[in-house]
Amino acid sequence: MTLTTINLAALGDTINLSTEVTGTLPTGNGGTGSTATTFVNAASNVTGTLPVPNGGTGLASGTTDQFLKFTGSTTVASAAVEGGLSGYDRWQMNSTFSGDAEPITANWARTGHGEFAKIGTGMTQSSGVFTFPNTGIWEVKFTCQFYGDTNAFGRAQIKWSTNSGGSFTSSGWGDNSSWGQPNGNNGQYQTITSSILNVTNAGTFRVNINAEQSNNSNGYVYGTGADCTFAEFTQLGT
Amino acid sequence: MPDNNGRPNHIEDALITLNRGQWFGWTNPKDKIYVNLKLSEKVGVSGNIVDNPITELPTEIELTTKLKELQDAWDDNS
Repeated sequence: MTLTTINLAALGDTINLSTEVTGTLPTGNGGTGSTATTFVNAASNVTGTLPVPNGGTGLASGTTDQFLKFTGSTTVASAAVEGGLSGYDRWQMNSTFSGDAEPITANWARTGHGEFAKIGTGMTQSSGVFTFPNTGIWEVKFTCQFYGDTNAFGRAQIKWSTNSGGSFTSSGWGDNSSWGQPNGNNGQYQTITSSILNVTNAGTFRVNINAEQSNNSNGYVYGTGADCTFAEFTQLGT
Repeated sequence: MPDNNGRPNHIEDALITLNRGQWFGWTNPKDKIYVNLKLSEKVGVSGNIVDNPITELPTEIELTTKLKELQDAWDDNS
């Protein structure tokens, strides 16, 4: 006969739970299945990543200078911070000339006021042909300051190329004139033009800067300490 | 660059009257004296970059003489 139950009341006896019970109570009977209570040590007993649906990040580690980012509604990943300028460069014309320069091929120098050089890698320039450091959406702005006589006319123009400068296309221009200026023989007038360009291949994309004047004897205002005629390159996005 | 009144005051003002376009530059743009004057290698003409057709710099005397002419003309007209 197998003993399966003990009727203590019928026996008029007691069992001391502190000293007289050993073994394990199965989990099916409301026990732990263990001889001792087990706790999870988060420092030593947890591995892997806690999934996003469970309140985790899905990440086991991070990357320097990156933040958590949601893609869609649940997937979490780390990504670089977006916002602020990742690329900016400014080049000034440091000498003058007269008449037209299509394009301006010489006398470009990177601006260096107040110890500023550039943000990011910066542009490279050869004979007035500018190359971008990386792909992305870029704004190119050209500020051109002319000397003019009483009826002078000037044009600033930006042109771009996708075949390494083999051929260029105008992306727009800015015109101005000195008409009506009281100081005609030493009039200075300015025009600004800008272009938004999608640089899809930094290896082959090029830009050049052009200036024209109605009077071939008139010059341009330049600066070696200050920017008077200059081009700016700003990366707006990727 | 002319002074604030427009009076030519530098050999650069004379240089731009000799030829059109960017035919000259400076080895040190922050020190624009005659010995730092140089010819540009390339110039832009009608959308093309070509060799500088100007192959010889004017002499210093030619430039100072030209600058004097421009100043005299400006003085006469002002």
